[in-house]
Amino acid sequence: MGTPVGLSEARRRPERVGRSAVPARARPRRRRRAPLLTGGARRALLPWALLAPALTVIGLLLLFPLGRVVWLSFRDFHLRNLVTGTSESVGLANYAALLGDPYLWRVVLPNTVGFALVAVVATVVLGTLVALLLSTLRPLTRVIVVSCVMVAWAMPAVSGTYVWIWIFDVDDGIVAQSLTSLGLLGPDGYNWFADRLFFYGVVTLNVVHSGFPFVAVTVLAGLMTVPRDLHEAAMIDGAGAWRRFWHVTFPVLRPVFAVVTVLSTIWDFKVFAQIYLMPGGDVGGSEMLNLGVWAYVRSFGHNDFGTGSAVAVLLTLLLLAVTVLYLRALFREDELR
Amino acid sequence: MARRRTHTHVHLPTAALALALTATACGAVAGDGPVADPLVVWIMEGTNPDETAYFDAANSAFTERTGVEVEVEFVPWSDAQNKISTAIAGDTVPDVVELGTTFIPEFADSGALYDLSTHIDDPYLYTQSMLRMGQIDDRIYGVPWYAAIRSIVYRSDLFEEHGQEVPQDWAELRETAVALSEAEEDMTAFPVPGDAQYSVMPWIWGGGGELAAQRPDGTWVSDIDSEGGRAGMSFFTGLALEDGVSTTGAVNWNEIDVMEALAEERAVMAISGSATPKAILESNPDLEGRLGAFPIPGREGGYTDSFAGGSLLSVFAGTGQEETAWEYVAHLTGDEFSIRWSEETGFFPGRAAAVRTFAESENPLVRPFAVQLEAASRGTPVTPAWGRVEAAKVIVAMQQDVLNGDATVEEATEHAADEVERILNGD
Repeated sequence: MGTPVGLSEARRRPERVGRSAVPARARPRRRRRAPLLTGGARRALLPWALLAPALTVIGLLLLFPLGRVVWLSFRDFHLRNLVTGTSESVGLANYAALLGDPYLWRVVLPNTVGFALVAVVATVVLGTLVALLLSTLRPLTRVIVVSCVMVAWAMPAVSGTYVWIWIFDVDDGIVAQSLTSLGLLGPDGYNWFADRLFFYGVVTLNVVHSGFPFVAVTVLAGLMTVPRDLHEAAMIDGAGAWRRFWHVTFPVLRPVFAVVTVLSTIWDFKVFAQIYLMPGGDVGGSEMLNLGVWAYVRSFGHNDFGTGSAVAVLLTLLLLAVTVLYLRALFREDELR
Repeated sequence: MARRRTHTHVHLPTAALALALTATACGAVAGDGPVADPLVVWIMEGTNPDETAYFDAANSAFTERTGVEVEVEFVPWSDAQNKISTAIAGDTVPDVVELGTTFIPEFADSGALYDLSTHIDDPYLYTQSMLRMGQIDDRIYGVPWYAAIRSIVYRSDLFEEHGQEVPQDWAELRETAVALSEAEEDMTAFPVPGDAQYSVMPWIWGGGGELAAQRPDGTWVSDIDSEGGRAGMSFFTGLALEDGVSTTGAVNWNEIDVMEALAEERAVMAISGSATPKAILESNPDLEGRLGAFPIPGREGGYTDSFAGGSLLSVFAGTGQEETAWEYVAHLTGDEFSIRWSEETGFFPGRAAAVRTFAESENPLVRPFAVQLEAASRGTPVTPAWGRVEAAKVIVAMQQDVLNGDATVEEATEHAADEVERILNGD
């Protein structure tokens, strides 16, 4: 898209300018301009000036679309409106329709919340266990194990999902084959993708598998900072491994756990590809949809961008609420201030 | 030293300028430029195994004649609808786009497409069922380019080995499938896929049901849960559930999975598109001469209607290049390049007369499809909302619910009919 050309242009030009005009003029002007700002004002403006590029990017790429989604959620917006560019406000009608839809309460919300709950707990517990294992390893072994763990993290969600679908293939998957040869499964097999619990079981495996390395590495970094004498003191007092973890490690690492839990929660609430790509995960009205997939099906399947946006806003509000609750529970009141 | 210092000074503004320049350059591609701009064309990916060579030839012929350059972009089918919607939102639409028959009504209705009716001299040249998909009143928003039809592809060598004949009605089809299932234990005789709605529709039609029909007062009524629709659904799903000629995993199969099953010699016969034999032979040349095809037999003889899909070429309105775009559409849908496309892909041209020559073909992998297309084919209901029925996968959900044992045929068809009516009637 012309970016390489543009960049090399930018790199080439200053040199040309530099050789001719600028050096002679720039220096004296700089000395004159300096007193325009007092030291204090400058100190106050400096952070904003340094933040400005990042804020501009965030504003353009994040805040604007976010605002637009909120705006869309109050409108009757279909494909036709996309072409004409005009639309009508419907107030809270989109939200009313959604909240009055039994499908939300019966399928979508339980799927989203239930799955996130299980997946977050599993991810954090598994990640912590792996971190504890890593902390006892010698440096070389640790590098090897960490590299292996990283492979799971580096796997793109789409390819990872297809691998899990393939593992659980109803006819020829390794799971079906093994269960059949063990005599636990009849020759006709069983379509686990049609069963809500099994379906989300596979999704959980997939998401935990790709999510635990982040927790493991972050917690490991935290573990390195726990003073060794605390552990030694606890050991002398006769504390076992569990009590040492719970009474020594955990309190010290509480901020770390807060971060990994909140991040995992956010990721697991809005999981999309891992569900959408599964067999049956893209069927509107099926038992398998979560809020993220529902928003997508509503927007792009039904071309009903207003309702789709309303689902997305609901998901965001839900996430905000859960995050606040978490932070409250993990930190004591005074620590928050 | 001094040079480096000035370097950092001038760097930022210049970089900003460069960024601004590239940003406007990006915008110019889709904007209303002069006619000398290249024509941007979106074509669905993967229809033609040798699509690059085809478009090289077609485009250079077009450029030679008109002096306009053409840029073809290949879009994956699965992405197409979103990509077009977002392009409309972002005002970055191409000049010409290939649209599948099932989603052209929605885009035509949206007002994004350019009316071609004044350019088309004789609409009766085209396959009418396809042309109708892009028609609203007497405005025409798409020109039929190629038609896709599904019949049954079978392993002629295995039929011969086990003394089976091409079935002439549903009962014979069942007997054949059961016999082959017993004779070839390691193979699936006739996969009954769950995620392939166009393999389900024929049975609803064949039983005597309609997906949806419009009453004089304008409301839509779905006939999926009529006696005929249920008879068709019972027959098709019964092949899997009662006769066991399918496999449990087929519940999750789409048409690609079905094709792979044939190509990997895991299935004996299956409902397949006219382009499938080519693709199968490409991935497994050993099957050369061992494949055949027959039109889907009728309930009591004759044929069962099959879904005729395919693609139309449409022109986007408001690009400033509508006339050139139409020239290009006429160029691709004209005899030379539409027939070449058909020969390379295994689909049929969008012109009625050209299909007739295929129906007289001696090729056993071409003729049955052409016969099916001419004698027993149907489209989906012509209404902008039908695309939503497909996007919500109503038919797929019905089929999977029955195959998974989550619903009886009565329950599933009733639910599907309600859903279709709810979506088409817009509430």
